[in-house]
Amino acid sequence: MSIKTNELTHIYNPGTPFEKLALNGITLNIPKGKVTAIIGQTGSGKSTFVQHLNALLVPTSGSVDIENYHIQPGTKIKDIKELRKKVGLVFQFPEYQLFEETIEKDIAFGPKNFGTSEEEAVALAKKVLPIVGLDDRYLQRSPFDLSGGQKRRVAIAGILVLEPNILVLDEPTAGLDPQGAQEMMTLFMDLNKKQGKTVLLVSHDMEHVKDYCDHVIVFDQGKVKIESSVKEFFQHPEWMENIGINPPAIIRLKKMLNEKGFCIPDDVLEMDTLVKIVKEQVKTYE
Amino acid sequence: MNNIALGRYIPFDSVVNRMDPRAKIMIMLFLMIAIFVPAGIWGYILIAAFIILALKLSKLSLGFALRSVKPMIFMMVILLVINILVIKTGVPWLQIGWFSVYSDAVYQTLYIVVRLMLMIIITTILTATTKPLDLTLGIEKLLHPFEKVGLPAHIIAMMISIALRFIPTLIEETQRIMNAQASRGVDLENGSLKEKVMAVLSLIVPLFVSAFDRADQLANAMEARGYDPQKPRTRYKVLSMHSIDYIGLILSVLILVCCISIQVLGLA
Repeated sequence: MSIKTNELTHIYNPGTPFEKLALNGITLNIPKGKVTAIIGQTGSGKSTFVQHLNALLVPTSGSVDIENYHIQPGTKIKDIKELRKKVGLVFQFPEYQLFEETIEKDIAFGPKNFGTSEEEAVALAKKVLPIVGLDDRYLQRSPFDLSGGQKRRVAIAGILVLEPNILVLDEPTAGLDPQGAQEMMTLFMDLNKKQGKTVLLVSHDMEHVKDYCDHVIVFDQGKVKIESSVKEFFQHPEWMENIGINPPAIIRLKKMLNEKGFCIPDDVLEMDTLVKIVKEQVKTYE
Repeated sequence: MNNIALGRYIPFDSVVNRMDPRAKIMIMLFLMIAIFVPAGIWGYILIAAFIILALKLSKLSLGFALRSVKPMIFMMVILLVINILVIKTGVPWLQIGWFSVYSDAVYQTLYIVVRLMLMIIITTILTATTKPLDLTLGIEKLLHPFEKVGLPAHIIAMMISIALRFIPTLIEETQRIMNAQASRGVDLENGSLKEKVMAVLSLIVPLFVSAFDRADQLANAMEARGYDPQKPRTRYKVLSMHSIDYIGLILSVLILVCCISIQVLGLA
């Protein structure tokens, strides 16, 4: 299920003093089954873009094609409600969407909205909870008694229970400690590798982009500035500088090493390889 | 949700923006009273003229002012329907079977609608041209004399400024939660009554939770900075009245006096 957009443009509040061109002619083709990173500064249009992917926003002009759903100006939500099931959108700080008395009910809320029966929805909730690393004992607890990280897991379970083929994650690790963040990313990678879900990751964390993603799309002022593979992207530190992004630690380390007289090839992105090369060069030097 | 014009500050650099908030609040008060004086069409024309002048000076468009009235349209329609059904005096304009429309019903509604519109537009001009903080500073200064009789002016002003400050935040939050729940299949427009109740619940509960969270954090942040409402405070911003403030005040008092004399002399 690939995602295609054609000249996608979105203007907020057209014809008012608050008019704002948020997306300006985005034409993209996001591959199926891959992990694609969307990066860009605040206000670059990332969030507006992802909201088009399950028709929370409808384009001002242009179109979005996902499987056999076609969204264009004037598309009615009623006709494409099922799309929202196919594209799971996990917002920033999703824990704020919890509202039910028990975790079981909260997770079952989504499927019920799409017409699944009560029993089936509860069964689905039971099935999905272990995927996010929580066990059955949690089902009858209140989501408000949990820790921040656990709440987020429950909220994500509330999206996964809809069995989306495409998972759009807006800063899913924001506010988590490094270990929690890594567990979260591992969870998403498992969903990608084992279930073949297409993952879109909106992130400011270049380490995550480098470690987990296949493709990178850079948004800048409502336009796509760069579209490339992760490997190629990180061979061009100047791209990152241009858009004001702090490169991952290894890129910065490479730069420092090169300044000190080492000669590290551009395509080295793994710490192990880097260590090996540095060792070799030290040896040759001696 | 984002295009709500009511209560939003628009950072234009205009004469009205630079006016003293105390003067603006008092002008608003005088005009509000004038609106409630039943001075007939001439009174409203005077007030409307003043409003148009204020709009011109504040660089706001008439369209913007009218948009601020938009949320009230629904209420006004209901009002019209009720009035048509209840008020049966004046000249009958329309008669279809049992259903009839009398002139007084329409006049009454128009009367209320005009009043409401004028009030909303005046308030909108005030909030659109005055930073929330200036507004509360103005309120605080105006309430200051009443502190002698035990009115906690500073606390009231602080509460108002916090409430105003959080309106846009809560609107944003609502939008965010609406989006999040829409992704989970919530459909606020279609569906049965039970589904709609559920949908609203799925909005309100998270909204309350986050509002309480925020209140907690804000209280902590204020206390951490040593905030104590009882202590005397100095001000970074000192208000001062200029000629334009006096002109505005005099004009608004004149309008009020005109409206009252029209009423008293029975010219309406």
